Amino acid sequence: MARRTCIFFISLFLLAEIAAVSQDTVTVPLHVRAGFDISGPVMKLLSRDLVSYGVLASADLNSSLAATAGVRYSSYRSSDVLYDFRSNGLSFTAGVDYNFMKANVSQGRYSAGIGLRYGLSFYSEQASMLRYTNEWGAGETFVPFDRNTGHFLEITPGVRAELFRGVTIGWNLYMRMLISAGAGKDLKPVWMPGYGPGTSGMTTGAEYYISISIPYKKIKVFIKPKVRESDEEETEGENTGRDTGTGTSGFTNRL
Amino acid sequence: MKRLLPIHFLAAAAVMALILHSCSVQPCYEETDPVMHTLLLASGTGETAKADSLRVYTYRETDTLKFINQKGASTFSVPLDPANDESLFLITLNGVTDTALIRYYRVPHLVSPECGYTIVSEITGLKTTHNIIDTLFIENKSVNLDGQTNLHLFY
Repeated sequence: MARRTCIFFISLFLLAEIAAVSQDTVTVPLHVRAGFDISGPVMKLLSRDLVSYGVLASADLNSSLAATAGVRYSSYRSSDVLYDFRSNGLSFTAGVDYNFMKANVSQGRYSAGIGLRYGLSFYSEQASMLRYTNEWGAGETFVPFDRNTGHFLEITPGVRAELFRGVTIGWNLYMRMLISAGAGKDLKPVWMPGYGPGTSGMTTGAEYYISISIPYKKIKVFIKPKVRESDEEETEGENTGRDTGTGTSGFTNRL
Repeated sequence: MKRLLPIHFLAAAAVMALILHSCSVQPCYEETDPVMHTLLLASGTGETAKADSLRVYTYRETDTLKFINQKGASTFSVPLDPANDESLFLITLNGVTDTALIRYYRVPHLVSPECGYTIVSEITGLKTTHNIIDTLFIENKSVNLDGQTNLHLFY
């Protein structure tokens, strides 16, 4: 299994071609998965400002599509010369993942694809102190505690592989596009839980998941047999020679 | 299995790099001081007028705050007092002084996580004397960072 997993990651296309000619129908198990993002605890070690714990669940709809949903708790705190800010809240994402791999290669255990999700963030924010300066002088004020709801879209290319029976690991990059921070144009959050900086129209990052995977159904998937290109070329070559009557052999025949 | 590990280590390294990048302190490159832009216009024609000399300043309890002192100006930009709901300006145009009182309400505005907050204002009203100023009216009440003209001053 390990060797196969490795080959899968290194040369997806090669594997696909080998498998494609082997059979017309394959039986693929569909799985439900539930896992957590280990990049959150790692972030906590690196930065005390951000706490972010996420869980993700998905269910295969067929051999290439999976419905996915996630919940993330985030808490952010920033304290510096300019402002003291804190926000925290829950964010929910829901969408679909598309697996580019063919069913006979993925066998329900591997995935290399892209996901599209809609995200909703329920959060509170507060800036207990903010400093400003201009020609009139310097001063301090604050932004009172407020609850808001933000919306965003998420595109997540990534890969997933079965590590052991029932355990998968996977990582994906994410590009999140802000629809609305829900706090008006002036009081966008320094950090919107589940999204990132509220002043950025797009944020990027990565997540690393460990999941438990349980098969719940088996389906049969028809695989189109792949025609060998080398056979076609040979046939075409022979035909061309006969029809046109050009080249050394044609000239020789006429003589 | 052993051959699989390097790929995931690479992925983990990529994740770490992204995290470290996101945690690093970024400098502030954005404009953070909202100013009230005023356009000088000639009474009657409505055309842009250049003042021979222009001074804009205010008196405070302890000192005088000078904002503008220039010749040949057709526009000027001054900040509003972020600590109060009104700002008083003395405008000396071609040697003649008028007083303008601008009233507004203030809202904190996040520029960016790197630059922090600033105070933007919405003008609610104004009063002026008429020694040389004919009319001063609000063209755009939002004093923010977008650089649009806020007041038209006819003299």
